[in-house]
Amino acid sequence: MNIPNYFLSDLPPEASLTPLMLTEACDTLKRNRARYLLPRSTDELIRTLDALGRQWLVPAYPWRKLALERAPEQLHFTRQTLERGLDSFFRELTGEKLESFVVSELGHRHRLDDLVMTGNEGRERRSGIARGPELLLHITAGNVPNPTLMSMVLGILARSAQFVKCAFGSALLPSLFAHSIYEADPKLGTCIELAEWPGGKADLEDAVIAEADTVTVTGSDETINTLRKRIPSDRRCLAYGNRVSFGYITREAMSGFGVSRVVEDAAADVIAWNQLGCLSPHLFYVELGGRTTPDEFASQLATELDRREQSEPRGPVPTHVSASIASRRSFYEVRAAHSPETRLWTSANSTAWTVVQETDPTFLLSCLHRFVHVKAVDNVDHALRAAEIVRGKVSTVGIAAAEDKAHQLAVTFARWGGTRICPLGRMQKPPLTWRHDGRPALADLITWTDWEQ
Amino acid sequence: MIEHQNISSYIAACQDFIRRHAATSNSESSEDEFDFLARSLFRLQFTGLLTYRRFCEARGSTPDSVGSWRQIPALPVAAFKEFEVTTIAPTDRVAVFHSSGTTAQTPSRHFHNAESLALYEASLLSPFKTAVLGDVDELVATERVRPLDKLGFLILTPPPAQVPNSSLAHMFDTVRREFEANDSVFTGKLDPNGAWEIDIDATLFALRGSMCTNRPIVILGTAFSFVHLLDYFESNNIRYRLAEGSLVMETGGYKGRSRALPRQELHALITRHLGVPPSNIVCEYGMSELSSQAYDSVVTPVAGARPGSSNDEGVRRVFHFPPWVKCRIISAETGEPVADGETGIIQVFDLANAQSVMAIQTEDLAIQRGDGFELIGRTALAEPRGCSLMAR
Repeated sequence: MNIPNYFLSDLPPEASLTPLMLTEACDTLKRNRARYLLPRSTDELIRTLDALGRQWLVPAYPWRKLALERAPEQLHFTRQTLERGLDSFFRELTGEKLESFVVSELGHRHRLDDLVMTGNEGRERRSGIARGPELLLHITAGNVPNPTLMSMVLGILARSAQFVKCAFGSALLPSLFAHSIYEADPKLGTCIELAEWPGGKADLEDAVIAEADTVTVTGSDETINTLRKRIPSDRRCLAYGNRVSFGYITREAMSGFGVSRVVEDAAADVIAWNQLGCLSPHLFYVELGGRTTPDEFASQLATELDRREQSEPRGPVPTHVSASIASRRSFYEVRAAHSPETRLWTSANSTAWTVVQETDPTFLLSCLHRFVHVKAVDNVDHALRAAEIVRGKVSTVGIAAAEDKAHQLAVTFARWGGTRICPLGRMQKPPLTWRHDGRPALADLITWTDWEQ
Repeated sequence: MIEHQNISSYIAACQDFIRRHAATSNSESSEDEFDFLARSLFRLQFTGLLTYRRFCEARGSTPDSVGSWRQIPALPVAAFKEFEVTTIAPTDRVAVFHSSGTTAQTPSRHFHNAESLALYEASLLSPFKTAVLGDVDELVATERVRPLDKLGFLILTPPPAQVPNSSLAHMFDTVRREFEANDSVFTGKLDPNGAWEIDIDATLFALRGSMCTNRPIVILGTAFSFVHLLDYFESNNIRYRLAEGSLVMETGGYKGRSRALPRQELHALITRHLGVPPSNIVCEYGMSELSSQAYDSVVTPVAGARPGSSNDEGVRRVFHFPPWVKCRIISAETGEPVADGETGIIQVFDLANAQSVMAIQTEDLAIQRGDGFELIGRTALAEPRGCSLMAR
């Protein structure tokens, strides 16, 4: 299947972009938006997205097939990992969920179509209409594709022309998604532009920044700080910095019949997107005092990762990644040889998965690619003291706990600063409506106009 | 051959091996003799060093199970940070060399007594002479240097008295002493935070002195000290032309002490600002945990490259260790040796590492090139996002 040249990212690698090309592309985007996107209703756009979501779940859908064919080589995800990741995203992309998303973010599903009033507004005789940015620039990180796909969906709902600047080498899935939009609805497709270039090409970035009225940036704190300085103060900048996540497993969850399920869920969270997303766990805290000890949990997790490696292999990684895993393993191998307080489980003849169990609870960042720490703690306070170094940087806490204890735990983690608490096994499957890093993703794009009658 | 029963007898044999092989290249060395010495030393270190013994036992390796030096477990350098990897009693230690790196981390430590220091010095001299000063005899022959003249060394590290834990400063001081370069000078110094910097005035003075007398000079330093110097040259628009026959040896990574440059770019800057041609620039690969060093003695043209292209593209710098050291490039995935042209982690088996551990697994990546390697650099052990792996 040949991909038509609709987007800048379709140009051959030797073609070089110039600031002028990008400025012109932005002009075209804005014109197309005014003609084709602004007049659309939310209902209409949701219908289009709903149909698209269904299509992407069909194994024979050409764009999906192409994604699965090309991604293993270009993105270092195996077909199986990618399938799971795409499915978890597109299962969320339904009309029903999109509608409730708009309602939960803006209070009414027609907020973007017309002046409407809800609840208390009626008493005040005040109505409001929400407007999205004219041109929305997304500067995306390259680790996992789903956040970029979601950003594009948000842009469509907000009726914005969108310029998606992909991290170098990561344009494949956003581009295929954009092509699928183009195919389903060409006019909508002309309101999207994609390009990729290595970060730091300031002249290119500045050309698009000059045209955009809202910029979303996903990436390292360093990238965000650099870009923020270059975004004029009258533009909105929504930054999503690096976040880390971890799992928390109570002693009750380690005592009943459900232990093997907990182990499966923990493994699923490590395997999803090869642990590369901000929602992937770097470590699991396991409470002491359960029938299954943290040590046994780590051992069972290693067995499960090994089993899942057969059906859902991690796949090859660049040499510097395997070297970094090998170096870390060496470090723990030395420790483990000297003290029973450190134990190490590794895949044989590969770096496919690694489990390191330590009694020292201090939070450690994993080098990812299915390398996970397991640490024993007395209770949640103990864990949170040990995780102090990442406080304020934590996205998701995946918990395995009985229902009565789960609520209390969720409150504790929330007060501590975690922005998303979910059951273990769903860490990399946020619902469409989730508040990204604790912020309402669609509402943050919106500018309101109030009408006081 | 009878195995050495104690470390002194081993060290004497190793000194002898080094003496006999000082002038040979690695490929000519005796494999059997290396293997014998390596296994003897493994037995001594396995028995004498509990840290290493535990590591080997966890891998299921003992002196009796090891049939060749290739099967000797290579201890990860990380162990030098966590443990005292030495058979030298605390009271006998006369020197300890630390790995460089960020001060927030515990450095690797390599302890020495008088005996191990003597072996270290014996090991470093002849490869240095061959790799760095190789052309001196030719300079004498072509009468550019008089036979009794010694080359002056301009050393960009601080002197050993200021940095007693630097194996590099110790090495430079050893070669300075041995090759009797009396007008040599250390122009490195410590800034108030303890970081290395160079005294620009003293460095320029030494360079000018060499140019005035038209006497070749040998400049020794770390890559980052050269960057500091060259940045000064660049911003002040200085271009020197050092006397013909001048030599440069650069070593080590950057570790955040200056901006990092690709090696070819660094060499191009050295040529541009100091007038030293690429053929007179040598790279050294060494680390505080080892006692021997590798030099990139050969510059191999890459097939199909344009000859003489300005930025040195199309040349390959291949490192070799001296005959008393073997190295293996192993796959990070499988731990097995890689094929020629493939990338892996460097393992070093250094017979001169008598009183710590001979077999070491570094955190450096290289491409196997024949019996040598092309250095890529440090693996990304660098902890992501500023959190320390060592945080305890």
